[in-house]
Amino acid sequence: MPSSRPSSDLILHRLSSSDYEIKLKAIREVKNQIIGNRTKKLSYIKLGAVPAVADSLAKANADSDFGSNLIVQSAAVLGSFACGVDQGVRAVLDAGAFPNLIRLLSAVDEKVVDAAARSLRMIYQSKLAPKFDFYKEENMDFLLSLLRSENENLTGLGAGIVIHSCETSDEQNILCHAGSLEKLISGLDGSISQRDASLESLATILKNNPEAVSKFVELQNERALRSVIELTKDKYPRTRLLACLCLICIKNSSSCYLQDIGIKTKLIYILLELLDDSGQVGEESSFAFSSLVAGKEDLQKLAFEANAIDKFYNHLQNCALHPKRLEGIFLALADLCSKLECCRSKFMSLQVLNLLINALTHDEANVRTAACICLKSVSRSIKSLSAGYFTNERIVIPLVRLLSDLCTSVQVAALGAISNIVVDFTPDKSTIIQCGGLKELVQLTKSMDSSLRLNAVWSLRNMVFLADKMCKEAIFMELTVSAVASLIRDPEPSVQEQALALVRNLVDGCMDCIEFAFAEDGIILDAVGSQLQKSSKIEIAIQGMYVLSNIASGNEFHKEAIMSLLFPETENGSHSFLSQYLQSTDSSLRTSAAWVIVNLTVPASPGAFGRIVKLRNFGIVSQIKRMVNDSCMDVKLNQSVSSSIWIPWDAVSEKS
Amino acid sequence: MSLFWIVIRQLAEIEAMAASKKVITREEWERKLNNVNIRKEDMNKLVMNFLVTEGFVEAAEKFRKESGTEPDIDLATITDRMAVKKAVQSGNVEDAIEKVNDLNPEILDTNPQLFFHLQQQRLIELIRNGKVEEALEFAQEELAPRGEENQSFLEELERTVALLAFEDVSNCPVGELLDISQRLKTASEVNAAILTSQSHEKDPKLPSLLKMLIWAQNQLDEKAAFPRINDLSTAALEDPA
Repeated sequence: MPSSRPSSDLILHRLSSSDYEIKLKAIREVKNQIIGNRTKKLSYIKLGAVPAVADSLAKANADSDFGSNLIVQSAAVLGSFACGVDQGVRAVLDAGAFPNLIRLLSAVDEKVVDAAARSLRMIYQSKLAPKFDFYKEENMDFLLSLLRSENENLTGLGAGIVIHSCETSDEQNILCHAGSLEKLISGLDGSISQRDASLESLATILKNNPEAVSKFVELQNERALRSVIELTKDKYPRTRLLACLCLICIKNSSSCYLQDIGIKTKLIYILLELLDDSGQVGEESSFAFSSLVAGKEDLQKLAFEANAIDKFYNHLQNCALHPKRLEGIFLALADLCSKLECCRSKFMSLQVLNLLINALTHDEANVRTAACICLKSVSRSIKSLSAGYFTNERIVIPLVRLLSDLCTSVQVAALGAISNIVVDFTPDKSTIIQCGGLKELVQLTKSMDSSLRLNAVWSLRNMVFLADKMCKEAIFMELTVSAVASLIRDPEPSVQEQALALVRNLVDGCMDCIEFAFAEDGIILDAVGSQLQKSSKIEIAIQGMYVLSNIASGNEFHKEAIMSLLFPETENGSHSFLSQYLQSTDSSLRTSAAWVIVNLTVPASPGAFGRIVKLRNFGIVSQIKRMVNDSCMDVKLNQSVSSSIWIPWDAVSEKS
Repeated sequence: MSLFWIVIRQLAEIEAMAASKKVITREEWERKLNNVNIRKEDMNKLVMNFLVTEGFVEAAEKFRKESGTEPDIDLATITDRMAVKKAVQSGNVEDAIEKVNDLNPEILDTNPQLFFHLQQQRLIELIRNGKVEEALEFAQEELAPRGEENQSFLEELERTVALLAFEDVSNCPVGELLDISQRLKTASEVNAAILTSQSHEKDPKLPSLLKMLIWAQNQLDEKAAFPRINDLSTAALEDPA
């Protein structure tokens, strides 16, 4: 029968039979059923086949022919259970097969060694594999003996262990000092699988580790580096990709290597060409592309000139794309458009946006996240924002819907995109409010997850920037006074900072807006005051001071309220945080503090004289005089402008 | 081989000259051919590479004894590989799958496309043998889950199952699936996968050299009239028209 389901426990019975023939046949049967067949793997795991097979592996004697046969077959079965199925890996580990497989690596029979090594390699491809402890000397001896081996399955296992378990720079350095680089480099001349395994392990050891990179480059007079460069031209796409990844790791760890424009361009072209591969390589090449261009304007420029955006767009047009591929391409486009306007306008002119909008409702969470991240990057274009390209319902409605996505990373990414989109430089933010976006955002400011709170407040902060009074009122009503006050006192400093920035934008502009800070007995202002007293982080203090500065630009009542916040009657003014901030080593903080004083002492206001007298009494004026020679132009400028209407240029912050 | 290099060199020479089409006589051409030395060992390696890759194990063995050329792969592994290939070619797909799994359990576990094609071939064989019910059950149990995992598999599966809808399969639009060429296609895919798993090139070098020869002759044709090889099996030079 071709398709017998593992329906009964008969197979279990046979797997644990004491008759060698029956047992062997049963194990082989399971093997041929599950290899390549995920569904079958899952049903046999459920049936409890894994412990039975692990048992026969543990009990068989590797020195007898019968025993070694059983071991080879059992190891193949366990390896297949572990291949590509996490439940399988867990079941194999739970059944205690791992130490037995390790033990069998030192068997005499080469077939047994091969089978055990293959299974272990499968296990190490999963995140669930036990972490290898590089700090133990005997472990390192074992690992080096694997890497040194003539047997490809053993060197492959060694590489697999490095790729799986080497994470910290300490671990990378241990591997370097133990001479693993030399071993892996010699693998570059080996067979296809050895070469690929060596390249991937090298990339793992070199990643973000300048020390390891310089050691690698200096080895044999850059010969190793040259071999890796040579392998970017290899016949096999996978080898080309891994060689590129290795070079990207080198480049990203130490900017002094691979500076040549030729090699940079080459990497870009190779990765773009690898996109055409229909398999895993094509999927992974866009991720590699991202790490190559992320944060690097020169490489983004080169990629732009290599028509990278057209290329990605062409791939996106193929609607049957695998989710992983879609995710990779959107992330690559996000990195590509993160800095340069030419990239963003190319993106807009190709109508990639339409495809991105479709991806916002994709079934896979990772694709939705990637699409949001891409949108966030493209919407950094002031030109497109001003043209209102992103505030139409086609984008806003699906985006707002993503705010209540079940997956947190999607929510965070959607918030990121919204943060940028709401800075549309027009006072009208009605689309997003009408689509229910405001309610969702406010809801998320109450989330238990601090990253959601942070990004939601950030979005609101950008939303109230330059908004009209109606809009601000709507947002303020929805948020409520007490919620704003408690966000200012949030346990997370980053949320505090954004909440203060939100208030700063809220009270900017007309007199009525300033009144927001005094609602419900001024609990918001109290919260601002107490954060400034604590002065824990400079960024928080800066935003707090700008809140005060904006309020101080109001009427007499507002100005006096700030005066009494700065100089409470019970305290000695010389201990005032104002005085501290004016002397801060951070020029932005000094600037913000100076603005408060400028706005309090605008000569046109009737109480200005009285306030100057008070400031003098507290020693502030003499401080200001000293600041005329401030090295920071902004601070100096403030002192020379006696009356100024301050426009909060930096009141909105772009999400990068 | 030698011809190939001559053609390339000639191309370069002509490139440098005027655009008018140069005529190269047979004499001149043969003289040039004679001036090219190719090591016998290299030719032998090329032949051995072909025999090994295509799986002619007995011929390879004999060739090794006669020419002293060492194959770049253990000849024993060829026998196993050929057994797999033969099993597919004769329609014993289940047997072929077991043999591949014995050879290396990773091959089918890490190569979903190949695994699908083998299962598809199994389905085709069931249909060929008129086992309709078994075929349907097999398609549902084994192939449908793969189709769920991959869109292109699903399309191929639909095409295959369509065979069941026709009375006269030899005349239906998907009839070519029952062709012997389908078996050969699947067999060569398995062959290539096994070779790759053994870190061996999956294609012999000889055919690609012949392809390069044709390409180079065509390039040269645009610039010069020369004695071409048109019949690759005899490699006879034909006088320029």
